[in-house]
Parts: sequence; structure tokens; C-alpha cells
Amino acid sequence: MARAVLGLGLLATACGKRDVGDTVTATGSSTIAPVVADAAKRYEKLHPGVRIEVQTGGSSRGIGDATTGVADLGLVSRVLKDEEKDNLTAHLLAADGVCVVLHKNNPVNQLDKQQLIDIYTKKVTNWKEFGGDDATIVVANKAEGRSTLEIFLHFLGLDNADVQADVVVGENLHVINSVVSNPNTIGYVSIGTASAEEKTGTPIKLVTTEGVVPTLESVRDGSFPITRPLNIVTDAKTSPVAQAFLDYLMSTEINDIVEKHFFVPVR
Amino acid sequence: MSSSLTRTSRRTAGIWFDRSLRFGGGFAALLSVVLFSWLIWDLVRLGLPLLTWEFLIGGVEDAGRAGGVGPLLVSTIWILFCCLALVIPLGTGCALWLSEFVRRGSVVARLVTGSVDLLASVPSIVFGLFGMVFFGQIVGMGFSILSGGLTLACMILPILVRTTLTALESLPPDLRPASAALGLTRTTATVKILLPAALPGIVVGITLGIGRALSETAALIFTSGYSTRMPESFFDSGRALSVHIYDLALNVANGAPMASSSALVLLAFILVVNTAAVALSEHWLRRRQSFS
Repeated sequence: MARAVLGLGLLATACGKRDVGDTVTATGSSTIAPVVADAAKRYEKLHPGVRIEVQTGGSSRGIGDATTGVADLGLVSRVLKDEEKDNLTAHLLAADGVCVVLHKNNPVNQLDKQQLIDIYTKKVTNWKEFGGDDATIVVANKAEGRSTLEIFLHFLGLDNADVQADVVVGENLHVINSVVSNPNTIGYVSIGTASAEEKTGTPIKLVTTEGVVPTLESVRDGSFPITRPLNIVTDAKTSPVAQAFLDYLMSTEINDIVEKHFFVPVR
Repeated sequence: MSSSLTRTSRRTAGIWFDRSLRFGGGFAALLSVVLFSWLIWDLVRLGLPLLTWEFLIGGVEDAGRAGGVGPLLVSTIWILFCCLALVIPLGTGCALWLSEFVRRGSVVARLVTGSVDLLASVPSIVFGLFGMVFFGQIVGMGFSILSGGLTLACMILPILVRTTLTALESLPPDLRPASAALGLTRTTATVKILLPAALPGIVVGITLGIGRALSETAALIFTSGYSTRMPESFFDSGRALSVHIYDLALNVANGAPMASSSALVLLAFILVVNTAAVALSEHWLRRRQSFS
């Protein structure tokens, strides 16, 4: 038995490295990686012989690997800094937006940045301050490590330690469940999730922030304030195989995949 | 009179102290059982309904929210194989040398045990970054099962060295002069007498190491990587089950149910591997005894 396993192992090792000519490597943001991995799977089916390796490690890794040439494509879920733009070009894959959600029966329709800061730091604890019912605000926050938490807190300019939450949850759907089960709850979720849920009749509403209604369109055109770009970055020398895959990512062919991950397609 | 009274009260206090200690200990034991069953129950409740034969052998679809974990199970087995193939000879070799060939307390011995203990306290993410740079870039293995397995081997080496060393040191000291008196060479004594006698201890070390290796994410995400493809060689990147669970729980929207079922698979897998390791060593020991 042991010998058989060893034999198999040696055989596998003997096969060794394949020709790397038609391999595309993409590394970086763990938010983008699942989308690109799904798209890669579909692309490999369409183009037998091409292999696409997707690896994670964070946006800075994406920048680094694309610069040094370790990766053909870097996955970066933020705006490029000026000095990064010298060597790298960003291609917008999709947009990620976060909006505040309330129960449909909550009379409040609009909350601006300062009001959200007051709510999330418990300076204001009653809905009547914003023209709502005389009821205590229940604050739902996301668990540490969630990308929606990062975008939201970055917009408010808060540290997670500043936030005084009553409920801490991980998934977008759990936030929506909390809002549905307790109409005094405030939470924030990915705009893709919120609009999908609203469309299916879940009693929630997407709150207007800084005068902009959160819709897929306002995220797409960049007018909604709580967003971030999901970028693919390349350096000057992109191989033809990598360029072909990049073209595929930049096409409408992957819109359904982007939507399935609750991001907003930009084409 | 007064002194006997203090004695009695002291004794009563002692009895109460005994009782509260017993109660506190029992409570702690109960709490750990409750917490463990709660954890298992939560996994079973969320994950069991999704656990099918198709899930065990199927490929990863839709970023893990559909399909199964077949290729990941294969990658996990291969990573573990690479890891054990390196760490068992290296770990037992190191422990043997420390216990049989150098004087205890000598400078070299203290240097080696010291660095092994230091290695044990290094966080696993550091092994991950080391593995990525050393095996991945310097040795040139890239993102591969081999690179992940070797990184894990470095990580669990201290566990194996320590347990093997303890097992060898707790053997009856007479074994060594007795083997010498029978005219056995040091090699024969080591291979035929000492190692088999220490085998149960070594197996404990191996099972502990396997447990840590299989539950590791930080050391693997940068070495064996993220690819969900069925591995074709040790040089392919392959996602371990633990990395998959981490990704589903944190990076994939609505991935939590599949994360639970994958965690159940991993739990069952660890159980099977550890039981197999213990059974194998017992079988081997029994066969040896029937020979002698």
C-alpha cells in the first residue's frame, strides 16, 4: 500500500512542470479572487489549453506581483495611488458599493455621513432625532475582516474600535434578517444584495446618503459615495494570452458572475 | 479550648475549599464538553444537510457555493503526504540524535532544543511567508502542493521532535546497557529496540502534527495556494480544505453553509487519518511482538 502511494507520488512528480507558455497568473485582493476564479473556470472551458492560476494575498500583493512580473494580472480592490500609476494600468472589473438598509416601515429615508457617524458611535440613540419613531436605534455592524466593513468605516472615517454595535454579524443576508426581524435596526450591506432582496419583496429600504439614491446605476457612474473599484492591474508587458483573458474579463460575458458575487457590473 | 475550635473551623474551611475545588473543576469540565458539543452541533446543523456523495467527489462550482470539495480533498491528502514524508524522518532523526548521540545538557544539544522550541512558538503566518519566499521563489516551486507540504513540515517539526524526544527519554534506561551487553551495535539497538519501544509516543506526535497541519490556513494560502483544479502533479497549486473554509466564510457572499459542510468533511478526515495512524502503529507493534 505504502509502496503504491509512493509510486503514485513519484509518477506524479515525474510528470513535473508543464509548459508555462499559456498560463496566466492573477494574484491579489481576496475580494476579487473568487470572481476572477469563477470567470477563469469558464474561460478555460472556452479555450482548452489555457491555464489560469488565481492566488490571493491582498491588494498590495496584487500591486507588488504585477510590478515585479510574478503575476500577469494584479487584483486590487482600491483606487491606485499616484506613484503606482507610473508603472501600472488599472482596468475596472466591477464596482463594490455599500448602502445603509432600514426596515420598510421605518419613516427615515435619508441619512448623511455625520448622522451615520453619530448613530454608529452611539452619540444619537433614538430614531426620533431623525424624524422617526420614538424608539431606540439598534446598531448592526459587520464582523472584522469583511470588505463591506472596511468600505463603510473608511467612508465614515471611523476605526472599528469607535463603533458601538448592538449586533455583529458576518453575512449581508444576516444583516437583512436582523433589519427585517427588528424594524428599529440599522445595518449596511453590499448594494447588489440589498437591491436583489428589495426586488424580491423583502421589507427593507435602501437609504439615500449624501443626497444620492443607492442604485446599481449610481454605483456604476460613481456618484454614490460609499463605493470602491475592483481593479485588474497590468504592467507595460502583458503577454498575448494574459491580454486575451483580460479582454474577456472586460467584456459583458462575465456580468452574471459579477452579479452572483453581489458586485456591480460596469459594462 | 480555643485552639481546638480554630482547628475545627480550619478543618471546616478545608472541607469547603475541597468541595468548591471539586465543584469548580467539575464545572470547568462540563463547560468544555458543552462548548465542544455546541460547536459540533452548529456544524452538523448547518453542514449536514448539504453533505452528499456528490459533495465529496464533485468539483468546486460558483466559488464554492455549489458543487463539492473533491479536488480539495485530493490536494489536502497530497499536501499532507509531502509534509509527512519530510517531517517523519527529519523529526525522528533529530530526536534520536538528541537523545542517543549527544550528551544531555551539552552546548550543541541545548542549541538544537532551544531552536526547536523557538520554532514551535513562531506564528504560522510567518511560516507561510517564509515558505512563499524560500520554497516558492528561491527554490522555484511557485505555488505548489510540494511547497505547501514542505512549509507545513517546517511548522510541525518541533511537535514531532519534542514528543519523540520525550518518548525516547522516558524509556527504561536499562534498555541501552542491556543491548550493549548483548553485543548489539548502536544502530541495531536503535532501530530494533529503542524506536519500536518509543513508537507509541512518536505516533502521538504524528497525530498531533497531522491535526495542526490539516487545520492550517495561514501557512498554506501563500504556498499551496488557491487553485480549485484537480491537482495533476506535486508542482500544481491546490487549495487545502482549511483554506477553502476560510475563503467561503470570509470572502464569498453567502458561503457560510458550504463552509460548515466543508468543515465537517475536514473534521471527519482528521478523525479517519488519526485513527488510521494509531491503528497502523498498534498493528505493527502486535506483529513485532508475535515474532519475538
